[in-house]
Amino acid sequence: MINKYKWYEYILIYAGIALFVAFMLAPFLEAFLVSMRPLSEIFTIPYAFLTDNMSFDAYFDMWRNVPRLHIYIMNSFFIATAVTIIALICVIPAAWGFARFEFKGRDAILGAFLAINMVGGTVLIITLYKLMQKLGFLNTYWAMIIPGAAFSIPTGIWLMRSYLMKIPKSLEEAAWVDGASRLYILRRIILPIAMPGIIVVAIATFIGAYAQQFLFALTFNSQDSLNPLPVGIYQFFGRQEIIWNELMAASLVGILPVLIIYIFLQRYIVAGLTAGAVKE
Amino acid sequence: MGQLKLENLKKSFGTVEVIKGVSLDVKHGEFIVFVGPSGCGKSTLLRMIAGLEDITEGDVIIDDVRVNALPPVKRGIAMVFQSYALYPHMSVYENIAFPLRVEKLPQAEVDEKVHKAADILKLNERLQYRPGELSGGQRQRVAIGRAIVREPSIFLFDEPLSNLDAALRASMRIELSKLHHDLDATMIYVTHDQIEAMTMADRIVVLDGGVISQVGSPLELYHSPDNLFVAGFIGNPKMNFMDVTCTGVGKNSIDVELVTGEKLTIPVTARAGIEGQKLTLGIRPEHTTTDGCDITISLNANVVERLGAHTVVYADAPGVELGDDPEAANRFSSIQGGMANIRANQRFDIGIKASDCHLFDEQGAAFKRNIDLSSLDLPEMQASA
Repeated sequence: MINKYKWYEYILIYAGIALFVAFMLAPFLEAFLVSMRPLSEIFTIPYAFLTDNMSFDAYFDMWRNVPRLHIYIMNSFFIATAVTIIALICVIPAAWGFARFEFKGRDAILGAFLAINMVGGTVLIITLYKLMQKLGFLNTYWAMIIPGAAFSIPTGIWLMRSYLMKIPKSLEEAAWVDGASRLYILRRIILPIAMPGIIVVAIATFIGAYAQQFLFALTFNSQDSLNPLPVGIYQFFGRQEIIWNELMAASLVGILPVLIIYIFLQRYIVAGLTAGAVKE
Repeated sequence: MGQLKLENLKKSFGTVEVIKGVSLDVKHGEFIVFVGPSGCGKSTLLRMIAGLEDITEGDVIIDDVRVNALPPVKRGIAMVFQSYALYPHMSVYENIAFPLRVEKLPQAEVDEKVHKAADILKLNERLQYRPGELSGGQRQRVAIGRAIVREPSIFLFDEPLSNLDAALRASMRIELSKLHHDLDATMIYVTHDQIEAMTMADRIVVLDGGVISQVGSPLELYHSPDNLFVAGFIGNPKMNFMDVTCTGVGKNSIDVELVTGEKLTIPVTARAGIEGQKLTLGIRPEHTTTDGCDITISLNANVVERLGAHTVVYADAPGVELGDDPEAANRFSSIQGGMANIRANQRFDIGIKASDCHLFDEQGAAFKRNIDLSSLDLPEMQASA
């Protein structure tokens, strides 16, 4: 067997994995511990893992201190969902076009998409502000949804295209010979077969949109009732002090929807990333 | 009806011309096989008929209608792909019903047609399965079922059996021949396997480098190949080619001398002015037994393959080529009886009968053999009756 390791190699491998996982999960653990502590115990020196009077109080108090918290969470969810849907509507036909059809400038456009990805939203934020202003989208959901979708489409096209290219061309040819139109082929053949890939793109877009909305919301929106969670939790920054425990509790609750979606769709992600199992 | 006419068909990919002018007339009900080595353009030609490739020049005419610009579905064809091209997310039933769903036929009619096709192909038990749960032969039958329900006038097959194992291929060959008989439809079949071509075709179209090398019934191609390419392509093991010198021209024969000095008088239609020229003599391995032969040659056996029914012997022989295979230069093959007493590295005798020989000129064109081929045209007429 080629993947047979010696015992000390196993120890090294697992130590490496443990280190990596610790780095990834430590912030979450700390956030959770902070959310459990009373405010007075948060900055104890020396650091104590477990402190006195730990409780879930912050998870109840936060709704009272920031009455619109549930609206922020809903906004976050709504914006990310809208971004995902719009992005998918654009990505799937576009990726199919890039994967299957020969046309002038195809590779140039694909290259341009990659270049845009490298620039990112932050650099363009001022021009985007002017654009949103001209279009009258400032202080509406659109100001957060449209840039969010726009910036996730190029990545989506790249991901989706590589997936679609693995679907045998003869499937489409067979359907074409049988009289199916391009849209019929897309709907009845490509979409069902590409479903694992589509779900991967959807999840990647959703998570991206969830994380990305902070920048757009902060810049393009000043209407509190439209704010997503990352901006909303600023209200825990009081005049005198920052209510860290409730802030952390709100953050964790805000992550929850993504986490739940991820757990449910995990098997598709695995299936999608190990694709190629499509062939008849 | 299923008449097909190709008129001076050409196809170029960029500057590369892959089909260099193909003309062919196919009658209704014929089973036509396109055969040739890989890269000869046979699949491209089929895809041009199907409407999957644009036509650079020339016309495809189906039932007296020029279909060059028509989409596949309007041409009255159905195609079966090499990879089966089944939809993995649909049941067998839905796979077969797909063309009918596209046409938006009422459910009752879909049901009737799918079951009829399933009956013909013995797929009734499998209608609710997914393609992934079927064996290779069953998948191929589903693909054929999808073609049948459309009731096309012309079926196009693109190497449909090449993904199956040898035993299954043999039984599918028989099923396809039966299907052709039952459906009374025109079939165009692409393969690189000459056994499929010989066993199923009414007429074989041998393609070489984008042009038709010869069209004819299987036995016509076997007994009277027009040129070296067809002679070397049809038949297995391949025909032996020997360099000979023309020593004289008779009324209906040509005298030749082998490199070993033996002389033969080959009964072919001769033409004047070829005395002294280098010609190529072709003799099939199955025509090299010593019974009733005109000359015998002694050879040294290299490899002896015992197949039970007969024995294939390969021997070194200078100036001999096996088919068009450059690897097989200076090798002579002979089919002997199953119990032939021949061992490797021993000498053995082969016999050559002048009437079995083929003779080709310097350009590779055959001199017409003096054999009666009229009886060989029968199968074609029977099939369309």
